[in-house]
Amino acid sequence: MSSRSPSPRPGGWSSPGLNTPYDTGGRTSPMRGYANGASQNVTWASAQARSAEVKGYTAFNPRNQGFFGRHFRRISTNLPFSYAEKEKLGRGRHQGNKPMQILYALGRNLWRLRKPVGLVLFLVLGVILFYATPLHRVYRRSALFGGGGSKFVIILAANQGGGVMEWKGPREWAIERDSVKNKKKYTQKWGYDLEIVDMSTKKRYAHEWRESWEKVDTIRNAMRKYPHAEWFWWLDTNTFIMEPSYSLQSHIFKRLQYDTYRDINKYNPLNISHPLTDEYLDPETRSLNGDGKIDSINMIVPQDCGGFNLGSFFVRRSVWTDRLLDIWWDPVGYEQKHMEWEHKEQDALEYMYTNQPWIRPHVAFINQRKINSFPPGACGEKGDDPQIHYQEKDRDFLVNMAGCEWGRDCWAEMYNYRQLSNRLNRNPWEKFKDWISDSIKHMKESKKKGKKDEKGKKDEKAKKGNH
Amino acid sequence: MPPRKTSRPPPYAARNQSSIPIPPALRNLLRRDKLRTIVLGFLGFLTIIWLLRRMGGGSGGAAAVIGSGAPVVIVTVIDPRANSAWVEKVKRNREDYASRHGYATFFPNNTDYPLKSSPLSWAKVPAVRHAMALNPRATFFWYLDSTALIMNPSIAIHSHLLTPARLEKLMIVNEPVVPPDSVIKTFGNLKGDRIDVVVTQDKEGITQSSFVVRNGEWAKYFLDAWFDPIYRSYNFQKAEAHALEHIVQWHGTILAKLALVPQNLFNSYASGPAHPKNGQYREGDLVAVFPGCDRDKRNCADEMQAFFDVLEGKNKDSQN
Repeated sequence: MSSRSPSPRPGGWSSPGLNTPYDTGGRTSPMRGYANGASQNVTWASAQARSAEVKGYTAFNPRNQGFFGRHFRRISTNLPFSYAEKEKLGRGRHQGNKPMQILYALGRNLWRLRKPVGLVLFLVLGVILFYATPLHRVYRRSALFGGGGSKFVIILAANQGGGVMEWKGPREWAIERDSVKNKKKYTQKWGYDLEIVDMSTKKRYAHEWRESWEKVDTIRNAMRKYPHAEWFWWLDTNTFIMEPSYSLQSHIFKRLQYDTYRDINKYNPLNISHPLTDEYLDPETRSLNGDGKIDSINMIVPQDCGGFNLGSFFVRRSVWTDRLLDIWWDPVGYEQKHMEWEHKEQDALEYMYTNQPWIRPHVAFINQRKINSFPPGACGEKGDDPQIHYQEKDRDFLVNMAGCEWGRDCWAEMYNYRQLSNRLNRNPWEKFKDWISDSIKHMKESKKKGKKDEKGKKDEKAKKGNH
Repeated sequence: MPPRKTSRPPPYAARNQSSIPIPPALRNLLRRDKLRTIVLGFLGFLTIIWLLRRMGGGSGGAAAVIGSGAPVVIVTVIDPRANSAWVEKVKRNREDYASRHGYATFFPNNTDYPLKSSPLSWAKVPAVRHAMALNPRATFFWYLDSTALIMNPSIAIHSHLLTPARLEKLMIVNEPVVPPDSVIKTFGNLKGDRIDVVVTQDKEGITQSSFVVRNGEWAKYFLDAWFDPIYRSYNFQKAEAHALEHIVQWHGTILAKLALVPQNLFNSYASGPAHPKNGQYREGDLVAVFPGCDRDKRNCADEMQAFFDVLEGKNKDSQN
């Protein structure tokens, strides 16, 4: 504070404002050589400089030393509006100034309606907060008063056929990473549980390999791990959820009686004779639709061109399911049939469905494209079977790249479907951006037709990949 | 300026003049504080109805029917090539017993079922299933082989053996399923009301000359799993008997519903490989079995003759 008091000097008091150079502000280095000469003359500037030298920083910066500080008033008086006028007119009324009048009226009305407007704002804020925070997930998970997401568990088989039998390359890792990420996102969004199981080949018993017969064990483990869940959705690694905005409830389980059928004659690639006609069976077992109630559906299986497909299927927690899981793997059946049953559980289930009547009333089938669309290459090269193959315009829920490991490129398929899914599910802003860049590209293309046609397409693809 | 309010209020509150005359009782109900109770009461009523409907939805239907019919249905598979006089006697033996206790009987032929090439002894499995289809209201199905005779018709099997309390008391726990040293043993902590199948063991293992199955979904599962074509075509040494032992040992959902009881309760052997402790037929036992008397060159009619005589003597006594 000492620097604030002007120092006396032989010729009287020096007035600091008069001889301080303008550009001292912000300067940290001490100044040598003063405007008014001799060093023994203590001026404001010299005192300031000395104190800054001692302390290492300047203690005081005069204000209004910048360009605006000095010229603001002059500039502002030249502007088309004026602050000064306001006072002259008085009482804040802007007669004759239309936009200001409208603004004022708006403000007044808003203030008058502050309660309803506040309520609306509060609600909007509430909605935004609901979706911006994990609150909506909690709601979707809750079984009591929410979406009931905790009733569903996705069991994702990872590392199928891996382990001792096969080495995993970078492509396999990438496929698995993509697949897991896709399901993680989906389950998080809807509040489901995700159980990733390692399906690598393991030695079950001392004397035999039970390769990939572990579906049963893993489903059972998941049932034990999630004791409150009701439906368990088995998914193979090579699957991709194309439409994460579909919840399982709205897509399937709220419309179970319309979307599933127990009468296999509706689509029967295996030619299983249905219903059973043996007269020793009870009428429910012999009926086309079991008892016809939704509650008695304990398993939902899609059928592809070759029969049941267990790449994507549902089982419900029930005593019936316990029994099925228990009887599914049987040593005698295994011993007799394991060479013949190439698809293991799938063939065993087909066999049991055909030969054990108690199973039929509780197995419902679902149109394959509801939960298990195939890409071209599986069940027909063209990929145009409306029962089986993925259709972009219908926005199918899930793609199962079944059998891609036999001579097709799993990673390429997974990549393409991922990009397609991303493109189909862009938000409006991304669509707008893409529309602009697309139209620019289109204009460019139409200018240089012919030669660069191919290149342009490539660019477009790359761009799509970025979004 | 609005007119001043009068300082002298009217003696009665102004009546709102409505064109519809409302009776005073109703008007009283519609007063605001009462209205709230009415609305709340109505909502509560709806809630109760909704809850009742939800609860009723689960328990209604086929499950409720079981138990309203005969307590026990006796199933005996008949070989149509057998001596018809003997068959008649065997049938009458069951019918007498059933009529005493209000049971039902069912005598299908072993050729009635699609066994394909498997042994005819397999017919008992679809026969019980058939009986279940014909008697959906019955509680228990007692399969009794044609080689067995009911010797003490005064014992009612459903109260003497098949009540939860009796089963809990009688069942043999921690017993190897296949004697003498199978690693799979009967469960130790089963509740009597959870039991769905009651079997006995003779010297060699679980027998199927006499067993009881409780009506229900589990029974369908059990019988269908037992009747699986793989087991029928598999060369089990003793066909359905070994298939039964197989599924009991390999499938926990079956073992968990199974009660093993002493053999003499409803499966005593008059001859043959009885259980060393309690398998041999003694006077007063419910059933006498002549295992294998229908096979090879044996003759059930001859072997049973003495027992038929005893039964007829008893009947005469009871008639006199």
